[in-house]
Amino acid sequence: MSKFTKEMVDSYADKLLIGLTEEENKMVLEEFDTIDKTISIIENISGISELEPMMYCLDDIATNLREDVSLPSIPVTDALRNAGKTDGREIEVPKVVE
Amino acid sequence: MNKSITELHELLVNKKITDKELIEESLKKSHEVEEKYNAFVTICDDAKESEITDSLVSGIPFGVKDNYSTKGILSTGSSNTLKNYIPFYTATVVEKLLNAGAVMVNKTALDEFGMGGTGTTPHTGPVLNPWDKTRMCAGSSAGSACAVASGVYPFALGSDTGDSIRKPAAYCGIVGYKPTYGMLSRYGLFPFASSLDHCGVLTRSVLDAAIVTDIMKGQDNHDMTSWDSSHIHLKDALTGNIKGKKLFYIKEICDIKNYKDANSTLKEHFKIFNHSLELLKESGATIQEESIDIDLLKAISSVYVVLSCAEATSNMSNLTGIIFGPRSDAKNVFEMMKEHRTLGFSPLIKRRFIIGSYVLQKENQERYFKNAARVRRIIVDKMKELFKKYDALILPVSSGPAKKFDEDLDILDENTNILEEHLQIGNFGGFPSITIPNGFIDNLPVGINITGNCFDDENVLNIAYTLEKMMPYKGQIAKEK
Repeated sequence: MSKFTKEMVDSYADKLLIGLTEEENKMVLEEFDTIDKTISIIENISGISELEPMMYCLDDIATNLREDVSLPSIPVTDALRNAGKTDGREIEVPKVVE
Repeated sequence: MNKSITELHELLVNKKITDKELIEESLKKSHEVEEKYNAFVTICDDAKESEITDSLVSGIPFGVKDNYSTKGILSTGSSNTLKNYIPFYTATVVEKLLNAGAVMVNKTALDEFGMGGTGTTPHTGPVLNPWDKTRMCAGSSAGSACAVASGVYPFALGSDTGDSIRKPAAYCGIVGYKPTYGMLSRYGLFPFASSLDHCGVLTRSVLDAAIVTDIMKGQDNHDMTSWDSSHIHLKDALTGNIKGKKLFYIKEICDIKNYKDANSTLKEHFKIFNHSLELLKESGATIQEESIDIDLLKAISSVYVVLSCAEATSNMSNLTGIIFGPRSDAKNVFEMMKEHRTLGFSPLIKRRFIIGSYVLQKENQERYFKNAARVRRIIVDKMKELFKKYDALILPVSSGPAKKFDEDLDILDENTNILEEHLQIGNFGGFPSITIPNGFIDNLPVGINITGNCFDDENVLNIAYTLEKMMPYKGQIAKEK
């Protein structure tokens, strides 16, 4: 029996502010089972736990850091252009504190 | 528009054709291709001519995948969550091409935010394969591949997080090139999984891929992962001489005996692959077989899903419908965001976010996320060890030609085989990787991939260029079945 449940999937979806249909929930469960089986194989690879996880593509890259100088920023009107509702220099949202 | 960049440049310079005529032809073709294959999100009917200069791309029309920001032009990522988003800046690589005089004529459809391998999940509907409309283009750069293969223009931009340039290239019978990680700035590319995301290009020849990438590459202060590539000259490196080069293929992927009940398509695919190896040998290269632990190869797709979903969950958390994207009418901020995300994301994306969130939970990180990242290291270290002995890895792309729409729903299941997923190795290690067409099965194109060590792009492209010269598929335009 799978250790993943419908309720668990709904709970994670809710944390992400996403609603799922029954069908979508079922598809997540199926994929979880497949991944879990592969991870079980991975766990058995000799010495796996001692390895440093590889989080970036190039471990040895010299990253390009620019000088910490202030540069002109975009006009506020441009930054707000895609927002649905604005009030002057600010984005308008419904009242958060009831 | 069926010609190469250098051919079009010559016609423009010698005034055999004007830039205006070229743009008009490309726009006309764009509308035809949209009608037939649904390849675009936006067609820029107001595209303006540019000055013809020494730059080979000046005056040449091109397409941009719709996950690149383009100032003043709709940029949706093919998602309902950004269906009305108009950026106020242009991605660096697009800007470089525009500055060189290239003319953007359309924005191409993709699997939503690049998260998919079928070309079936754009918010504008599936992209159809120009060789056979009942088949997919693969993804995510489906629209770009379809348009280049259809002869809308000689090149289009793509992006590649798993194989999103290189697989559509194979399914559409064209060239798809993803340079070493960081050679192209990703400033302005919508992020999917930042440690795996690459910019790149789809063309109809290796030379055109080199020309376009030479223009786009370079360090960018807006992308700290970009690096100085001024010593790399891709076009100049295409000598056609690969004498003494050593290539390898992976036994576990290329031995037909590993495939139980292999069908005739798969057998033909390997026959074509082996013929390409013979051509390379005739050119003076040596080819050897290498073995890699089958469990590692089987883990590739799960490692990819775990890592890419984890990164995507974080990258896409800004999609709330408040700062940009269509706004919900809900009365509460959280309900607004939930409605926006629930209605806006496709089922595939939702699935990926939930997986990503799960593997990043404190109690799950070690078993899933970190173990996946450890396997990534083992695979990359193994490849780097092999690249000390060899100039490049060569493998067939996918298990054959483009799939029918009902064959692959882009769900990770137990039957997903290594042959379909191995290109993700190129993203794990940031390796330069190129797909070129190498034959046909039932009148449908198939492709072959060449991948090399990081920063060795000149060598990878020269091997592809040499092989391309020995086959009749360079510059081909899709002919519908």
